Amino acid sequence: MKLLIKNATLVNADEISKTNLLIENGKIAEIGKDIQGADKEIDAKGKYVFPGFIDLHTHLRTPGREGDEDILSGSTAAAKGGFTTILCMPNTDPAIDNEGLAKWIRGESQSVGLIDIYPIGAITVGRAGKDLTEFGALKKAGCLALSDDGFTVDNTLVLRRAYEYAKMFDLLVISHCEDSQLSCGGNMRESFVSSKYGIAGIPDIAESLIVSRDIELAKYLDARIHLAHISSAKSLEIIRRAKKEGVRVTAETCPHYFTLTIEDIEREGFPGNFKVNPPLGDKKDIVAIKKALVDGTIDCIATDHAPHSLAEKELPFELAPFGFIGLELAFSLTNNYLVKDKTFSLKDLVNKLSTQPAAIAGLEKCGKIAEGYIADLVIADLEGKWKVEEENLASKSKNTPFLGKELEGVIEHTIKKGKIIYSRLKD
Amino acid sequence: MTNMEEWQKKHILGIKDFNRQEIETVLSLADSFKEVSEREVKKVPALRGKTIVNLFFEHSTRTRTSFELAAKRLSADVVNFSFSTSSLTKGETIIDTIKNLESYHPDIMIMRIGVGVCLNSFAKHTQASIINAGDGRNEHPTQALLDMFTVKESKGSLENLNVLIVGDIAHSRVARSNIFGFQKFSSKVTVCGPTSLIPYEFEKMGVKVSNDLDKEIPSADIIMMLRIQKERQGAAFFPSLREYINKFGLTPQRLKKAKKDCLVMHPGPVNWDVEISSSLKEEVHPLILKQAENGLAVRMATLYLVGTQKREI
Repeated sequence: MKLLIKNATLVNADEISKTNLLIENGKIAEIGKDIQGADKEIDAKGKYVFPGFIDLHTHLRTPGREGDEDILSGSTAAAKGGFTTILCMPNTDPAIDNEGLAKWIRGESQSVGLIDIYPIGAITVGRAGKDLTEFGALKKAGCLALSDDGFTVDNTLVLRRAYEYAKMFDLLVISHCEDSQLSCGGNMRESFVSSKYGIAGIPDIAESLIVSRDIELAKYLDARIHLAHISSAKSLEIIRRAKKEGVRVTAETCPHYFTLTIEDIEREGFPGNFKVNPPLGDKKDIVAIKKALVDGTIDCIATDHAPHSLAEKELPFELAPFGFIGLELAFSLTNNYLVKDKTFSLKDLVNKLSTQPAAIAGLEKCGKIAEGYIADLVIADLEGKWKVEEENLASKSKNTPFLGKELEGVIEHTIKKGKIIYSRLKD
Repeated sequence: MTNMEEWQKKHILGIKDFNRQEIETVLSLADSFKEVSEREVKKVPALRGKTIVNLFFEHSTRTRTSFELAAKRLSADVVNFSFSTSSLTKGETIIDTIKNLESYHPDIMIMRIGVGVCLNSFAKHTQASIINAGDGRNEHPTQALLDMFTVKESKGSLENLNVLIVGDIAHSRVARSNIFGFQKFSSKVTVCGPTSLIPYEFEKMGVKVSNDLDKEIPSADIIMMLRIQKERQGAAFFPSLREYINKFGLTPQRLKKAKKDCLVMHPGPVNWDVEISSSLKEEVHPLILKQAENGLAVRMATLYLVGTQKREI
């Protein structure tokens, strides 16, 4: 089957072009004005075509908490949000710390057959921070990276061994940066607001101290590391300096760190749906994150999609679990908060949601619209609006602080390997 | 009781939401209720036929009893429910509990809970007024109201006083509610304690932050000693009770430097020889007991105000 997308505005990280695009055998066969012989056409007039988004940081809750999310619902939510490839974190129950489980995730996601799902293997057995997992076996089973996400590897010697050992397999180590002693018991960013309401705080240095440690270690060992969900201005200063020095470090942030602050938590009256880790910062952090996204200190935007049930999230703020869902929101939030305010061009959006994540994860022929590349595509209407409401979300969990908010930027179609896996009109 | 007709607050969640007039209304009403407890028949029919639920998710005997008695002296029907905060896990949420109790059509729910700033979110699950009897480290509004009542009774005014709050500020809802309260009367609040027990950026509250009790005592009109939780000693907050007492305990030598008419208060129960030397017991205990007595009148006033308020529905 040959699928033609015509009158498209193709957006790549380096250029925008108005043209037509032919998909054949799951690949982009041809780009050009005069393409003949398609079996099916999509007229994308007035719409934009992006390379499929890639999320380096999804929690699929499977195995263990399939009530909050499973591979089908997670895949559906991803497709709806324009994500064609996701990497899922191993903080499941049991943890993805062995090849059997990693293979099982790959197999299950292939039988669902919507998007590509690659597991991230745990760094340590049971994510307990002690014994290294079998990196070689995990890689063979389909893991693209390693992380104990949710926890920092507290023991620096264990982390050193992990960095050294991962180098052998060229496996990316993703670091969850949080000094667990400093953050212990905290529920929001330590700030005047946390003090005023007597809520135990997490200082921003709980993040930047570990950012600093991990960067020093990576520099010492010439290891390649990726820093997850960076939230604070202080961390960014350290990352910026390290990059200048040539340390092989990349970093991601999440949409909530360039959209929400402590003030929003206070204004909303401390609902569980506004609780996330790392915690929301202040306006200075937002300014710093936007700057870092533009100057490349932050390489990409990840969702940290973290589904939680209503029963958990309606608990009082200090008892509710951390985390927001994000797969269906990341694109619209980036469009609303970065493109609309001219922080980002559309090329930047593609760079941070597709091109860079593909490069960091080592995904080939991905993250770009070019002949011979995999036909993972998103067709979006940037002016279209949608309202974030529970019934509009495909994820099993509805825990987002953006409920009730109207956002601009609607995904019309998501195409995976040439196959339309989501269409708004059929939704 | 001039402004009772205008009482607007359905819930009493925190002193930070009170204005000066509202505090004055509670205090003047409490003043008239004090007399009820001195009668032969200690009861008025003000809340007859009303149902009040004491819903405590944290251990408390004194506050719960004070509220229960306050409700009974106003002729309301009272039921008590006690749970532990740790029971508030998935599957048996607090909202379920509130919805369950709602089927009894309570008029007022008095709630204490070990975690803060959540009572507002419960309001939509009940028709009842909610009175905060202590939520986490956030607020304990009736404690601040009874403290202010006690100060006003002794000093005649709440204006332009130097209020010194001593001890574990970080974990104290009593300190927060009193800061919000006294500041509304142009009084100056100083908090004094180990730096490790002073919250981050606390001077932004408009208070003076100090670590030197000896220096602060001479200018104080009110000294509020906070209860020290003994489990805070050790690595977490301060090395030992001994060192704490040396620096922050109220001793006869320290109290000698205070103004003659300085009031020493404590939300109770006092750890004698920790916060306050037991040799000062005779001198300071009467006022601390008076606080408890006033607590009853203040709680009657808050129950009356929310319980007799005209409802839209």
